[in-house]
Amino acid sequence: MEWLYGNEPIVACSSGNLENTAITVIRLSGFDNLSELNSFFDKDTQKFCPHRTIFCHLIEPCTQKRLDQVVCTYFEGPKSYNGENILEVSVHGNRLNVNRIISAFVEHGPFRKAAPGEFTYRALKNKKLSLSQVEGLDMLLNSSSNYSADQGLEVLCGEINDKYLQLEKAFLNLRSHFELNIDFAEDVGEEVAEENFHKSFYEFHSLVTELNKRIGVNSNLVLSPEIVLYGAVNAGKSSLFNLLLSNERSIVSSIKGTTRDYVSENLVYKDIEFKLIDTAGLRETENEIESEGIKRGLKKVDKAFFNVFVINPFDDINNDSDFKNTDLIIFTHCDQEGFEQRLSEFTKIIKTTPTLNVSLLGGPIEPAKSGPIEPVKSGPIEPAESGPIEPVKSGPIEPVKSGPIEPVNSGPIEPVNSGPIEPVMFYSTEKQVFTAVMDQCFTKYSTLISDKPLLVERHVDVLKALCVKSELFAKLLKSESDLGILSNEINGLAVDIAELLGTIPPDQVLGNIFENFCIGK
Amino acid sequence: MFDIAIIGGGHAGVEAAWISSQFNLKVAIFSMPEVGLASTPCNPAIGGVGKGQVVREIDALGGLMGRLADLSAIQYRTLNESKGYAVQSTRVQVDKDLYSENAEEILTKETSIEIVKIKVEEIDFVDEIFHIKLADKNTFTAKKVVITAGTFLNGLLHTGRICEEGGRVGCKAGSGLEGFIRGLKLNPMRFKTGTPARLDINSVDFSKMTRQDSDAESINFHFKHSSRDRYVEQVACYLTRTNDETLAIIRANKESSPIFNGQIKGVGPRYCPSIEDKAFRYPDRNSHHVFVEPEGLKCNSVYPNGISSSLPKDVQKNFIHTIVGLENAEILVHGYAVEYDVIDTTELSRTLEHRLLPGLYFAGQINGTSGYEEAAGQGLVAGVNAALSITSEDKFILPREESYIGVMVEDLVTNKRDEPYRLFTARNERRLHVREDNSYVRMAKRRLSLALNQDIDTYLKSFVEQYEVLSELIGKYKYRENSENLELFKSNEWGKLTPNMTLSDLMRRSFVNPVMLLTNELKRNGIVFDERVIRSVAVSNKYHGYIERSKIDLDRVDRFEAKTINLESLMESSNISTECKQRISEIRPETFGQLKRIQGIRPATLAFVAGNFY
Repeated sequence: MEWLYGNEPIVACSSGNLENTAITVIRLSGFDNLSELNSFFDKDTQKFCPHRTIFCHLIEPCTQKRLDQVVCTYFEGPKSYNGENILEVSVHGNRLNVNRIISAFVEHGPFRKAAPGEFTYRALKNKKLSLSQVEGLDMLLNSSSNYSADQGLEVLCGEINDKYLQLEKAFLNLRSHFELNIDFAEDVGEEVAEENFHKSFYEFHSLVTELNKRIGVNSNLVLSPEIVLYGAVNAGKSSLFNLLLSNERSIVSSIKGTTRDYVSENLVYKDIEFKLIDTAGLRETENEIESEGIKRGLKKVDKAFFNVFVINPFDDINNDSDFKNTDLIIFTHCDQEGFEQRLSEFTKIIKTTPTLNVSLLGGPIEPAKSGPIEPVKSGPIEPAESGPIEPVKSGPIEPVKSGPIEPVNSGPIEPVNSGPIEPVMFYSTEKQVFTAVMDQCFTKYSTLISDKPLLVERHVDVLKALCVKSELFAKLLKSESDLGILSNEINGLAVDIAELLGTIPPDQVLGNIFENFCIGK
Repeated sequence: MFDIAIIGGGHAGVEAAWISSQFNLKVAIFSMPEVGLASTPCNPAIGGVGKGQVVREIDALGGLMGRLADLSAIQYRTLNESKGYAVQSTRVQVDKDLYSENAEEILTKETSIEIVKIKVEEIDFVDEIFHIKLADKNTFTAKKVVITAGTFLNGLLHTGRICEEGGRVGCKAGSGLEGFIRGLKLNPMRFKTGTPARLDINSVDFSKMTRQDSDAESINFHFKHSSRDRYVEQVACYLTRTNDETLAIIRANKESSPIFNGQIKGVGPRYCPSIEDKAFRYPDRNSHHVFVEPEGLKCNSVYPNGISSSLPKDVQKNFIHTIVGLENAEILVHGYAVEYDVIDTTELSRTLEHRLLPGLYFAGQINGTSGYEEAAGQGLVAGVNAALSITSEDKFILPREESYIGVMVEDLVTNKRDEPYRLFTARNERRLHVREDNSYVRMAKRRLSLALNQDIDTYLKSFVEQYEVLSELIGKYKYRENSENLELFKSNEWGKLTPNMTLSDLMRRSFVNPVMLLTNELKRNGIVFDERVIRSVAVSNKYHGYIERSKIDLDRVDRFEAKTINLESLMESSNISTECKQRISEIRPETFGQLKRIQGIRPATLAFVAGNFY
């Protein structure tokens, strides 16, 4: 493979340097000897002890001007993060200050500015981290949800890394028993050797199968869960969008078709970062730009984590929309007279998909019949047996479709009332609507991550291949007694195991990782 | 003056002498006076898993071991017979006296090798010439020297608390060479090996043991011998087991075991543990196989394989008497352990020549290997290279991908040993290709490149020719869908006759025995081929698809296997950790493949080297 960068000493700011902060860490890596840095400090750098902090002043070597008052920590290679000599300098975090200090090192020292991710790149090169660990680190540093940050850490040094090592160990065991069966069958006895070999394979196989259960989930859904609002033109999508974000983001007007493409905004709910997307309204149009916008919107719907179909029941619904991928239907304008009547036309839809009835005027409007807070079933009475999250049940018998599996108790929503209930329930305050919608999203998300799906795409791919091979091997083991042929298959497994742990780094992955890497680490 | 002087007359020495004499050079073997040539001081067996392949490679390269083995084999066995052709190996028990006598006779009658049975006291290297000083004060000179001293370097024998100098029972250690070798700074390591007591065949009750007869179907090693001829009478071996009582006696005598009381410092092989090792290291196991093997037709001793021991003589006797069938066994020679010096083979190049003193070669147990076959294989490599260094500029290097000998030599010069080295099939990444049945095909190119024009060369040319013709034939031989063939398929249970089916396709069917099928089909059509060629073509054809696929897998890893690396610029690179550099500078790899196999070299370093291609 091609390594991307040269190996000169490098310098970079390792903590965020976009804003002024109290302290910023500048990291110097790859110098041969501390003496090369002597002219930058007012203390003898030769006397810096590894893993000790030193308080001193930073000096501009030419002008002998003081640059800053700093604290240094020296990590001596190869016992450092990336195997090289590293000096970490904590400086005052004014951007100008940070920049002039880095410039001084570049101008007067052997350093060049590090490329993004180059410190870690060297850690990989110097076998301080495996490729899979680097991927975990990447995830930890760049994740946008608690889940992926946790998983990043697990891949770097936690549960997942352990699982991988366990898998490697089980494979080693399998291989040992296999070779034993060939080279030492006479010593241990033919039958014992054969039996142990089979046993060790099934142990390995069950680990692969276990990991394989965690790869079914599309990682994009977990990493960047999208909530897509779609529906007919002017059904109230943008109003709902704004309501959920509680700010005026989309241009809202009463002229049909104002959202031309789609608009997206990040929305954090219970520590999960969702992406809320408002699409162009669906309608027959000859406007090319608009139809392109509609097309793009529908594409979003296909890939979305959570689809919300917005309907104004007072509109003429002439297209037989497909609600298969719809997680939630929202009927707007519930505050208008005759709403319930209009709703009766949608019985078929309501039976199969969870629904919410909302007004979008923003103000606290008295709902027609029920209390303002209580979620209500649209059908006749049915005592809710599960947790308090599902605010709405559509049919009389059918459970809510959108993953009510996990009873999450966090939401502030009241438990469903089992007493005699009015047929229609309205959500009118912004908070009510927001909570009702977001809790459904959260429930679906919780279900999605309950099996702890693996998110690093490369790992998922390798595990998939490994699982296929392991299945094949299990089959082969029943019919094939030629150990030469079996040995070939085991060699194939070995390549995948090595690839999973990153001991054979595939070229592209690396390039990709280092391109997208946060600078400094 | 001799062209080549070989110090040591064991399996390595005999093979080195035999092969180098084919170059029409003046060759001498210097051997200990008390020991016969090519003696088998431990288990008198040749071949075994991985080792059978080596014997056949030696034979295909024009070596002697296969011939000697056949001529003195008193029992044949095909190991792993039910586990597929790739992992099958032949092993023979030999009459140890006959084996040694045959070696001596062949070298004397068929070559002009000078056999000098006087102990070597000292070797000097003066004016580009080796001076070999003998115990009788005579001095010989030689252009090249191959040292195959076995366990005789600082040899120490242990039986209980008794400890004496020597390379084996009844022989004094060759003490002269230590100084010479120490002057070379060979950084010797101390290894240990052991052997069991020998028992009087007349005192053993075989009726209580499981009998294992010689396999009449096993194929001879030597190319000139017809496949299944036997040259001497065949005898049976017997299987019995240790039991609770046996192990209780051993465990009660831990203090008197030289291995466990600190008397022995050398490292023994984990794959060939003494009975003490088995008793103490695996306390859960209370029964082990003991194979009782005759050591010859005329001699009255048997070798109880599996209970090698250096316990005191009375303890040996007591535990042996607990074993079923050995209750009244009389001990002829007690078991003992031997400690000896081995050299650091990472100082050798792949020709087995020492880097610091060109012209000096090392082969055999002194290189830290165990086993007669491993020794002979190295002897052959060292012998050819010593000869080539006189007659031409060429070097004789067997690639790892083609042979077990290549695997062994490369492992030896690449990695430091921490225990005696033995070949296993597990060490070979290309087991499907490097098999017993195709040794002649695999070795032909290497042997023919030496242009020695002996019988083996004629045989190899003919073998390869037949191999190619037959391989082509089976691809072209088609079964038309006529009634005759349909009947043929039905009566032989060959499965469905599909359109355009060739003999090659049919031979790959998993339920078909490809060797038998090919043999019978050729016979039916009146076509005659060498039986070994038929076998080789049939097995290669069976594995063809698998071998191609494994190449793809291996290529993912081995793209750079054969690429030469520039050591100097590698050492200057700052991207390689100091510890890695240290390992690299010790081993001095020549190719990327070798670099890869150095212990402790991490993939990141390899990827770095591969990327920058030094």
